[in-house]
Amino acid sequence: MGRYIIRRLLQALLLLLLFSLGMFALIHLLPGGPEQVIFNPRLSAAGRAALRARFGLDDPIYLQYLKWIGNALIGNFGFSFADNQPVTNVIAERFPATLELFSTALALALVVAIVIGVLSAVRQGTVTDYTLTTLAYFGISMPIFLFGLLAQDIFGVYLHWFPTSGTQTLGYTFDPFNAFIDHLQHLILPMLVLSITFIAQWSRYMRSSTIEVVKQDYMRTARAKGVAPVPLLVRHALRNSVIPLITVVAIDFGAVAGGAAITEGVFQWHGMGLLFLDSLDTRDYPVLLAILMIGAVFVIAFNLLADILYAVMDPRIRYS
Amino acid sequence: MDISDRLNVTPVEEVEPFLEVTPALVQKRRSQGRIIFDRFIRNRAAIAGALALILLFLFCFLGPLLWRIDTDAINVTSASSSLTAPSLQHPFGTDDVGRDEFARVMAGGRVSLLIGLSSMFVAIFFGVGIGAFAGYYGGVIDNLLMRFTDVVLAVPLYLLLFVLSASFTDHTPKSVIILISLLTWTYAARLVRGEFLALKEREFVLAARTIGARNFRLMVRHILPNAAGPIIVNATLLVGANIILESVMSYFGFGIQPPASSWGNLVSDGQGFFDVAPWLVLTPGLLIFLTVLSFNLVGDGLRDALDPYMTER
Repeated sequence: MGRYIIRRLLQALLLLLLFSLGMFALIHLLPGGPEQVIFNPRLSAAGRAALRARFGLDDPIYLQYLKWIGNALIGNFGFSFADNQPVTNVIAERFPATLELFSTALALALVVAIVIGVLSAVRQGTVTDYTLTTLAYFGISMPIFLFGLLAQDIFGVYLHWFPTSGTQTLGYTFDPFNAFIDHLQHLILPMLVLSITFIAQWSRYMRSSTIEVVKQDYMRTARAKGVAPVPLLVRHALRNSVIPLITVVAIDFGAVAGGAAITEGVFQWHGMGLLFLDSLDTRDYPVLLAILMIGAVFVIAFNLLADILYAVMDPRIRYS
Repeated sequence: MDISDRLNVTPVEEVEPFLEVTPALVQKRRSQGRIIFDRFIRNRAAIAGALALILLFLFCFLGPLLWRIDTDAINVTSASSSLTAPSLQHPFGTDDVGRDEFARVMAGGRVSLLIGLSSMFVAIFFGVGIGAFAGYYGGVIDNLLMRFTDVVLAVPLYLLLFVLSASFTDHTPKSVIILISLLTWTYAARLVRGEFLALKEREFVLAARTIGARNFRLMVRHILPNAAGPIIVNATLLVGANIILESVMSYFGFGIQPPASSWGNLVSDGQGFFDVAPWLVLTPGLLIFLTVLSFNLVGDGLRDALDPYMTER
């Protein structure tokens, strides 16, 4: 097990290195590169050369890469062109909002998907099952941004239940408690919108894996021994049926991150996704690179974590 | 489900020995394709999806022959012709400059469907090629190709899509197709690799090799047809997924841009007028939803029809 983890860790590091190389090359090959974006068109030739030198753009590309990756490894992603601040600061400012949206939506999606999946597996072939299946199809087939728009218009504009965008009501100063409530009200719509697609997808996996597990012999044995239905499901079935879901969730991690970026764009949620979209407009390459790298680190880390969890939760799986 | 239904799906080879003993039990001999088709036909949701797709394609591609209103005909002469509600003259209303939304939705649909389909073909072509090479040759080639696949899979898809489209594309359907297929071949590649890894060990491959079939022929003529089922299912689902990708890109202004239209940017065009003209968002939105839903239903129906273990249900 220990050796397996070490090998996977090394593989993950290699993957990240390859990824950073790819992304760096890609972004520096792009037309309309960094200097067109930041430089004033009326700048003299001498000033232009000075700026190029200051940003190290005259160095050969491999040298630029080595400099960048060396700095990135110690947490320095350079300066944002647009903000003229260290990229780390810019991102640190936006990170909590994304973490909040991402983790609440992920937790909600997991819990609801497991409940729905188990429910429709237990009630397989009934009206409940068909209704939930139909709803899941709808959820899977609807792009997140459409959900977002409709939710904004229905719950925000028509019903006035929730604010339509942002992370807080501007122009008011609340006491800490009401500020918190206000913030929660802003969180609800984006969180729901982001989680719906994944509830729909994951509940399908949960349904089929629960159906598989319920058919197994040990379940019949437990039932015969007189285990009550609910503990039977929760303690005996769920532990095994949730395993396939872990892999799916880990693989979908990048998709949730992408979905978070879209949701943030629709709801003007001031997180990294919105920062990413804004940085695209201003071609703020250091910020874009940093966000891409952070995204990849998370995706790869969670894939690794999923494989390890897999072994922990299912003792039948042995890695060598 | 009664016994004759179960017999329908029993492989023919197993039924034949009964021929002399109990002729009454034997069904008419059906080809593999026929069996799959029959199973698909019995799936009502999949049939509904297939019909919806046929209608959607007819609407978008043949509709303009019957509905002869120019997409770009702007009518700014009178304020009353912009943002009108759906009527007989304009079944889906008009937009802010008086263009007929019915014709616009057809034009946008042609672009969206075209992008969804062609990006699927390109992605499947490369995915199958890469997966086949990796699975067939194994070893170093497999390792290299699969690590490359892992790198592409490690990115949050939308982020990379946005970066690339902001800088590389000229916002024509062609560039959007290339971009989407560049990022969506990975699943097909993994799938095909797995199939090839398993299939290349089978006896029929050895038999074909023994009579002198070369590598390429073995891959294309002998192994690939046996992996066709999962590939077809993946391809069908991929069309829906790619239509969503295109709509997201266009919605955020990275994909198709005005004056050209797709369902995605029709939604973003219309969203500013939601309080006065909600149909401008709802019509293209509903069409995206219906198309993707239909492709998903057909894809899942095909999966069930092609799955040999689906005999009992």
